[in-house]
Amino acid sequence: MLSMRGIVKSYGAVRANREIDLDVSAGAILGLLGENGSGKTTLMNVLYGLVRPDAGRATFKGRPLSLGSPRAAIEAGIGMIHQHFMLVPSMTVTENVMLGWAAAGSWLRAAAVAARVREASRVYGLELDPDAVVGDLPLGLQQRVEILKAVLRGADLLILDEPTSNLSPPEVGALLAVLRRLRDEGRSVIFISHKLGEVLDICDEVVVLRDGAVAGRRTVAGASRDDLARLMVGRDLTPPLARVAREPGDEVLVVADLHARDAAGVERLRGVSFSVRAGEIFAIAGVDGNGQAELAEVLGGMAVPTRGRVFVAGAELPAGVAARLDAGVAHVPADRASVGLVRDMTLADNVMLRDADRAPFCRRGWLDFAAAREAAQRGIEAFAIRAEGVETPVRALSGGNQQKVILARELGRRPRLLLAVQPTRGLDPGATRFVIDRVLALRDAGAAVLYISTELEEILAVADRVGVMYAGRLVGVVRPGGTDLTRVGLMMAGALEETPDAAALYGVKA
Amino acid sequence: MTAGALARSVVSGGAVARPLASAVVGIAVALGTAALLVLFSGRNPLVAYLALLGGAVGTPDRIAVALNKATPYLLTGAGVALCFRARIVNIGAEGQIALGGLAATWLALRLPHAPALVLPLLCALAGAAAGAAWGGLAALVRLKRRVHEVLVTLLLNFVGVLIVGEVLQGELGEPGAGFPQSPLLPSAAWLPKLVPGTDLHVGVLVAVAAVLVCQVVLWRTPFGFRLRVLGASEGAARYAGISFAHTTLLVMMLAGGLAGVAGAIEVLGVHYRLIEGFSHGFGFAAVSIALIGALSPLGVLPAALFFGFLESGALAMQRAVGVPTPLVSVIQGLTMIFVLAAMALSAARGRV
Amino acid sequence: MSLDTAVVELITAAVRIATPLFFAALGGILSERAGVFAVGLEGMMLAGAFGGVLASHLIGSSAAGLAASVAAGVLIALLVAVAAVRFGADQMVTGLAVNILAVGLTSFLLRGFAARGEAAIVRVPVLSAWPVPGLADLPVLGPVLFRQPPLTYAAAALGVLVAIFLARTRAGLTLRTVGENPAAAFAVGVDPVRVRVAAVLACGALAGIGGAVLSLQQVGTFTDAMTNGRGYIALAAIIVGRWLPGGTLLGCLLFGAADALQLRVQSLRLPVSSYVIQMMPYVVALVVLAGLGRSARLPAALGVPFRRE
Repeated sequence: MLSMRGIVKSYGAVRANREIDLDVSAGAILGLLGENGSGKTTLMNVLYGLVRPDAGRATFKGRPLSLGSPRAAIEAGIGMIHQHFMLVPSMTVTENVMLGWAAAGSWLRAAAVAARVREASRVYGLELDPDAVVGDLPLGLQQRVEILKAVLRGADLLILDEPTSNLSPPEVGALLAVLRRLRDEGRSVIFISHKLGEVLDICDEVVVLRDGAVAGRRTVAGASRDDLARLMVGRDLTPPLARVAREPGDEVLVVADLHARDAAGVERLRGVSFSVRAGEIFAIAGVDGNGQAELAEVLGGMAVPTRGRVFVAGAELPAGVAARLDAGVAHVPADRASVGLVRDMTLADNVMLRDADRAPFCRRGWLDFAAAREAAQRGIEAFAIRAEGVETPVRALSGGNQQKVILARELGRRPRLLLAVQPTRGLDPGATRFVIDRVLALRDAGAAVLYISTELEEILAVADRVGVMYAGRLVGVVRPGGTDLTRVGLMMAGALEETPDAAALYGVKA
Repeated sequence: MTAGALARSVVSGGAVARPLASAVVGIAVALGTAALLVLFSGRNPLVAYLALLGGAVGTPDRIAVALNKATPYLLTGAGVALCFRARIVNIGAEGQIALGGLAATWLALRLPHAPALVLPLLCALAGAAAGAAWGGLAALVRLKRRVHEVLVTLLLNFVGVLIVGEVLQGELGEPGAGFPQSPLLPSAAWLPKLVPGTDLHVGVLVAVAAVLVCQVVLWRTPFGFRLRVLGASEGAARYAGISFAHTTLLVMMLAGGLAGVAGAIEVLGVHYRLIEGFSHGFGFAAVSIALIGALSPLGVLPAALFFGFLESGALAMQRAVGVPTPLVSVIQGLTMIFVLAAMALSAARGRV
Repeated sequence: MSLDTAVVELITAAVRIATPLFFAALGGILSERAGVFAVGLEGMMLAGAFGGVLASHLIGSSAAGLAASVAAGVLIALLVAVAAVRFGADQMVTGLAVNILAVGLTSFLLRGFAARGEAAIVRVPVLSAWPVPGLADLPVLGPVLFRQPPLTYAAAALGVLVAIFLARTRAGLTLRTVGENPAAAFAVGVDPVRVRVAAVLACGALAGIGGAVLSLQQVGTFTDAMTNGRGYIALAAIIVGRWLPGGTLLGCLLFGAADALQLRVQSLRLPVSSYVIQMMPYVVALVVLAGLGRSARLPAALGVPFRRE
């Protein structure tokens, strides 16, 4: 049905797709497996025409497929169901289906479309009521509206990008049943995922991508979990970086049975417990979307958990950012440009961003600009920030230097706990090295560090202990030196869950 | 760091050149376009503008009138500018002024024998309280029910003005007057004249002081810092622990309070009584002035004076040259549009 | 005057007062359902009122006046479309700006033709009622519904048209989508900017007719700022009607009834003050607005400029 040859796509220095070949037969479900940054999303964006490849061709149903416009893909019969739905919540299912669909007519033939919705719903087991308001539907049903849209427009190949990330277990089962019905009709599905269990359950063939290239192709019958996990994460690793050998000190951060929901009300943290000790780096690995963002929000004080407690240095932490600052918790957020900094403000302003109502930046109710400028100047020197002066707006700085500003601010408060979330995202190797060095130095000086990242290689080089998150839970804790990568890969893909013992969880010597 | 750069940073913290340029360009283009209109109606624009200028600042009397007109613009413009800084569009000045004037009138009529230095002060405070409450109400509706503040303040404008009308029919009204108004206020409540022999009252001093206070608050206090961060980036504000609800409520109450004082000043210094409809049009003018002032209290100073002079000179221009007074509204409207366009263009170019 | 006739007269007056409001509100619905705040309704109405009188006077026909009112409204709307939609300037402030501009411009032009800057008094014949034969003689319903001037009938017809357009045509669905989730519209190949510009221009046309109702059908002349806040009242009526033509009609009638009632407080010997009566519709609007809160009725993307990623 589909054949892609030699797909190459680079974004600047990053080679997202390197000479990728892909085949999908008719009436088959192909799983595309890989971790963050493996290139699977880029490859599908190329196929669907959202992104133009640097090189490569594709044929679809025996005819050459023009890559570079969604219209071409849609007309050829390719449908894409994104992770974030393109639906209008206040409209009905029928109206959402009719949107942009020429066949619905200039005078909307709502009744006719509704009938087709009902019929397709019956045939594929979608359980959709044409008159239901989409915003009232659970996410699983909303997703099926997207599938219905693609099917009604005659899609023979459906691309689903991480389709189960927002679904509850019964909804996942229902979705897989729908996909099987579509396959049995002769349509094909590309199932992008990082979840081994599901991929092995539903797919006929699997292609594993790693670092932008195909790491391996298997049929599901001939594949084992270990094999696939190894393909997903296997790499030549640099050994853990040099550090001061020390026994971890007292517990600085204790997280007990944390539960939290995201902005849409879906539960993303399902009972996370761990602790981080002074003088150690505890990293959290895992594919994006398994609850790390919500964990960072709760620990950073920006979201309130639905259950569970957080303790810093033995005292329970009340809600809010101020409590964290008082307790000596520093936070380097994942989004440096629109969360960690105010781009239009100066370096000096950004250095006092979170502390504008406390000493030394606020004296007797007035802002002390001199103190801010001094702190900024110290930061420039200590962190080698390349900027024209403390009054430069930070939007003029490079990504690496912007991150240095955040580091200068957060490390400058001499924290006892550093919460670092994706701290090297989007940085060149030099800046990445700089950040890692500073984090290690902080650890050597006795602070506790919680390091959340999707970069497995980096984590294994930096951390003293690594916890893996999957589906909102901590499914295992390992030590980097000499760890079996396959185990880690299995955990990240949800295929392995280790009963935590106190030693692993709390870093106590067993 | 040079003294000049320091002063700049203290005054405006960075990007002041662009918004000021937008305002100046906007005014210039508006004046130019209006001049074309004057030409089209068969008159000489230069002569018209000179007459306008003369009518505005030609004699001390005229300057007094212009400054009086600018006073409420200064107060409401500064408050709305602060709201804009947090990206809150507050068009409720009309209702807040109306209720501020009402409170001041009520208090003045209750305490006719209070000392002449204290009574205006008390009435102004009453006005501030009423305006702050009305602004706070709008903020609460906006926060609790997630409704856009423009709709809320718009509706509350109508309600506020009607409340004043209703009260003027009842206990505060002057029966037998041909027009809904209160009795003349006791002279102890009247604002003293700044320059004896002219109409200029001390309200302008209060207004200018308030503007300077707003400027200081915006740039030198943690509250002002929070406003600016909130307006610049919601994500960063959350990360910095800034409460959107708290800050919104405070700034709306502040703006409402300033408008309430403006209402009190109008009643105590210009009309010496509460007159139905005295607050008409101030809500929108405040937004225009805040915008032309580049959303900075200091910028509101020239913008409010500009509006004040325009309005006071208009009649003289009509008498002298025959150019109709509505030209002033044309200039005001055009200025707003061109300043908006200039700001949008420079923002689009500045965005990399 | 007996109670019967008084009530009928009241309702007829309410319908009469509601007509210009309804035209403006229909235009506002189109604009706001597409995601653009219709704050400029006041200015568009005023321009329409002025254009209508001017053309009717110069050319001598009411039809020409009507056409001119549409053109004038569209011209004002064009300013909003370019500044706010195309260039992304703040919608609220742009609307306020055109309102101020319209007041000044219309008053200025009115005086442009006289000697020393005084207002010209321009009189045009008022459009009189077109009684519907047969139906006009029905008790109660007759005078209220079937003995109205032509533009009132047009308002009713347009109300139905707009309702059908929004609910049953693909263009209407597209417009609604742009107002709820422009990204979703963009994903299916629609240009939200173009749709919004069209909606704003249509709003100008309808609001212009609303102005014509005032000047051509009710008063017969143009006076300074004669719309007197009706544009903003139309905005409130849209809120009461929850952005639907049917509900907005009721909202307009509510405001019309309040206005008619407050003038007749004396003659009808009502125990309530006229100010309280006038306040009622605004309070209703506030309650409706507060009651909506998180509900889905308010177009989700209202007031949010669309920027291509």
